[in-house]
Amino acid sequence: MKIGNINIVEIKESQIGAALAISFLLFNVIFWAYPFLWLVILSVTEWRFFDVPTFSGLKNFFAVLYDPEFWRSLWNVIRFLGYYVPIVLACSLGFAFGLQHIGRGKVFIALSFLVAHISSGVAYSLVFEKIFSSTGPLNTFLADWFGFTIPWLSSPNMAMLSISLVVTWKFVGYYGLILYSGLVAIPQEIYDAAKLDNTKLLTKLFKVTLPMINAQLVMVLVFAITVAFGIFTEPYMITGGGPMESTNMPLLVIYETAFNRLQPSRAALMAIIIAVVSYLVIKIMRKLLEKNVELV
Amino acid sequence: MIDLKKIIPQKTVGSWIITILMYLLAITWLYPYIWMVMASLKPTPEIYHTDLFSGTLTMENYQFLFDSAEKINRPFLKSLFNSFFITLTVTVSVVITSAFIGYAMAKIDFRGRAQVNDFILFQMVVPAMVLMIPLFVLIKQLGLINTYSAMILPVMMSGWGIFMMAQAFKGTPNDYIDAAKLDRASLRQIVFNLMVPLNKAIVAIVALFTFTGTWDNFMWPLIVMSDVEKMPLSVLLATFSKQYGTDVGPVMAGSVLQALPLVLLFIIFRKYFLQGMSLSLK
Repeated sequence: MKIGNINIVEIKESQIGAALAISFLLFNVIFWAYPFLWLVILSVTEWRFFDVPTFSGLKNFFAVLYDPEFWRSLWNVIRFLGYYVPIVLACSLGFAFGLQHIGRGKVFIALSFLVAHISSGVAYSLVFEKIFSSTGPLNTFLADWFGFTIPWLSSPNMAMLSISLVVTWKFVGYYGLILYSGLVAIPQEIYDAAKLDNTKLLTKLFKVTLPMINAQLVMVLVFAITVAFGIFTEPYMITGGGPMESTNMPLLVIYETAFNRLQPSRAALMAIIIAVVSYLVIKIMRKLLEKNVELV
Repeated sequence: MIDLKKIIPQKTVGSWIITILMYLLAITWLYPYIWMVMASLKPTPEIYHTDLFSGTLTMENYQFLFDSAEKINRPFLKSLFNSFFITLTVTVSVVITSAFIGYAMAKIDFRGRAQVNDFILFQMVVPAMVLMIPLFVLIKQLGLINTYSAMILPVMMSGWGIFMMAQAFKGTPNDYIDAAKLDRASLRQIVFNLMVPLNKAIVAIVALFTFTGTWDNFMWPLIVMSDVEKMPLSVLLATFSKQYGTDVGPVMAGSVLQALPLVLLFIIFRKYFLQGMSLSLK
């Protein structure tokens, strides 16, 4: 009797569990699998939101392949990374080292940097648009103290740097704390050994410290590459992709293509290509840089 | 554990310089926020022409936002309400569904559980932007463009939330659950009165990150919402700024409204935010 009872309870429970899982799967059939199916359909059809999709084979693929705006946006990702990666890595490393040497107020300082990270994209983009504007506070400061101004947003060369500075502002606290967690885990004995060998400061940095936080550095780089392929709010709000398309990032082109040029099929295909490329870039980066550091 | 205080000399000149430098940098990092708040309190013509803490202080920019509904058809108060309504609905829904399904994934043995788990992991790897346009097609087919549902329905459940809760729930000893079952506790009681209180931190993390993510979401509502009456604040602020960008004061006042809820949440629940980013300040 008793055994039978327990069995009944367990069967009932496993049914509840299955029912809960099925509710999640049903949700995903509608809002995930169905769109996924549409993604496949869109990529090989011609469609303009209103008519019936007609099969067009590889036409979209070639249209995207010969779309200069699309290539420009990929080139812009590289340009963005060219500014962003060195700046954000240097700043986060500096932040992490600085944090290590602070006696008091560590929490206050870390939170001041992190509050930039938990922030609303539209709000801070508007703030930076004003701060960087030609008559804004930054240029007023430069003019008063150094007698020159910088065309932060109006010059095609500077605009991308300005965008990467904004994104740096947002992420330094986060990346810095990731690196910091790697730094504090390095055993002191290693530094002691380096001291005995009279290792120079720079050698110590490149031969001891950086290799020891390889895992954290790779993690930060993965985040940075993901951001480069995925930013939308900042360029949309601050520069609108300009001047002269110098900050036209992939998501802006996808948005433009789908909703202004009314070519959702091409935009869907672009999204697939961007996702694959970003995945490959991350994979290659990991292959080149990831090392298994072991303490013997 | 290594005692940091023994290793790092605490009161050398160098460490003092670094500390002062870090404080200066921290203030530099806060500067955009300070500037935003000060600009929102000044009349527009004075913003670029007065020092940070000088000039006339007034509430007229905020007054402008509250009157803007009739004057220029930009209902800021309504959009603030929309943002809270959408964000809170999504957050409550994600927390509840994640708690129940997370409990099932962690503690109930049913056929196909491993496959569901694999699906959740796979889903988390596929970037959301790939599905943005086909999801728009779906919402259009359902006739939900320009409705609250367009911004709420697609994100009512979260694989990430389920994953996080399930990971945490696995650590709760089965004895507690068995004891609750002996007392004839229902599933709802087990989840709400046992699992949630025992795993407060993870529930808070799922709630906070869902809230900030939904509040901050911009591209999706920009695509599906053109009706100013139902816009979230982020989109209304963006369209307002595109049209009236020279009204720096009101734009900054709107930015303060948009930024403030997240900043307050961050200050109040900083412990959980740090934990959620798996960071600690030891």
